[in-house]
Amino acid sequence: MEYSRIYSIHDQAITFEFADEISEVVNIHVIDLKHYIDANPFKGLIECVPAYSSLTVYFNTDINKNEVIELVSNYNLKLTSQTSIQNSNIITIPVCYEMGEDIESVASRLNIKKEEVIQLHTANIYRVYMIGFTPGFPYMGTLPKALTLPRKDTPLLNVPAGSVAIAGNQTGIYPFNTPGGWHIIGRTPIKMFEQKNTPCSFLKPGESVQFQPISIEAFNQYK
Amino acid sequence: MSITIIKPGFMCSVQDLGRWGYQEFGIPISGAMDIGAAIMANRICGNEDNEALLECTLHGTEILLNETTIFSVTGGGSIVTVNDEPITFNKQIKAVGNSTIKLHPHPIGCRSYIAFSGGLNVKKVLGSYSTYTSAMIGGQNGKNLEAGDLIEVKKISSDHKKENITITASGFGSSNWKAIAPALPHVNDIVKIRCYEGPDWNLFDESSKAALFNTRFTIGKNSNRMGFQLEGTKLNRKEEKELISSAVTKGIIQVTNQGIPIILMADAQTIGGYPRIARVFNDDINLLAQCRPGMKIQFTSI
Repeated sequence: MEYSRIYSIHDQAITFEFADEISEVVNIHVIDLKHYIDANPFKGLIECVPAYSSLTVYFNTDINKNEVIELVSNYNLKLTSQTSIQNSNIITIPVCYEMGEDIESVASRLNIKKEEVIQLHTANIYRVYMIGFTPGFPYMGTLPKALTLPRKDTPLLNVPAGSVAIAGNQTGIYPFNTPGGWHIIGRTPIKMFEQKNTPCSFLKPGESVQFQPISIEAFNQYK
Repeated sequence: MSITIIKPGFMCSVQDLGRWGYQEFGIPISGAMDIGAAIMANRICGNEDNEALLECTLHGTEILLNETTIFSVTGGGSIVTVNDEPITFNKQIKAVGNSTIKLHPHPIGCRSYIAFSGGLNVKKVLGSYSTYTSAMIGGQNGKNLEAGDLIEVKKISSDHKKENITITASGFGSSNWKAIAPALPHVNDIVKIRCYEGPDWNLFDESSKAALFNTRFTIGKNSNRMGFQLEGTKLNRKEEKELISSAVTKGIIQVTNQGIPIILMADAQTIGGYPRIARVFNDDINLLAQCRPGMKIQFTSI
């Protein structure tokens, strides 16, 4: 896949942008390129940060910007469907939908029953497009059309950690108590960020996720 | 050896040169806001550049040295006394046990760095000593320092360069040499910050592009280690369009949907979705870190 744009976000960070849209094909390419660079690191490389449709490469003064562009461009040419690392494992995330404080309002705004929100949200397998916003926050897609809602006009000041939320065609999980503008439809007992774990983030870009409804009792018993 | 925080002041936290390699998991780089001053403080003490040190914002911090300690203070934002006698920044200082370091108000600069010979003995979390309070990681239990916190100072290795410092009656002495530090801005200065056009420069209308360089902005009260919110001319886009989120980092000037520019700083989120009108020239990020809310800045193109 050719990139549509290359630009600097810092003297030592270049972004390679592949498309101006959110698409699974593009994101697969971004993450394949990240894995390829990680597996074949060059002198001066610090780290690669994947986003929906772009990869940002951070480097130090051992290498200059033009050398990075040339190296990454060569790597990009070498990427083929054979080098693609697709993770077929599906990670199940338990969600107590009864604890989703916005689930009633979401259901009424979408003109469907609460049970249908749960059924729709748990039916799909979602791709983790990227991790950001806060440590461990997964941006996952794609939501069924029947669940798409614009984000809230006024963000909630304190979204509880573990909140499973939706906005646009995305679903995500808040790892910490933070402000947030997404609609909260449930809560997971899983810790999305744990500094002692390797990796510290429960999910990684490129992984597949499916939600499983659990009761409050099951939530409370979860260890 | 150890130090005790008597008063944290406005804000005091343990930092180093940042937590690299974890941005793919959404973990910001963090680290010292003024990287140059942090490196200098460590070097003056004979430490490696990346040792854990204190970042103090403005004044109010009081620190008790529990034993004889070698340290240095760089950056600005305060006048520093040891046992009520002023000290000179950018020198190696040796003070006897029970000495007190105090940071007093000063209209020049914003952040001072106190490095201790040997470095602060805090645990590295994900490869860094830096405190990142939002995820409660690094530094002293992931938090800004509080009154009563006791932090160990690591033993100085045997190859550490020794200075001949004479301790005077006031309980401390300083090196006869001084490191040369960049000039810091006074609160009344209009600080020139050089910047490049950002990745989304062309999304802004002509008058906003011109306003970025032709008008002055004030660093707003809502400014912290994550970013500086700027007050001034609202910057508008040619058309409303949701952008696809991508990586951002310190120095990026992003503009909110209300037209407010925000300069991202050390604790910047790893990914953002606001249009990026410009980015600050790397060398001027340290200068920005020494500017406090209320100060005026003027962007110049590079």
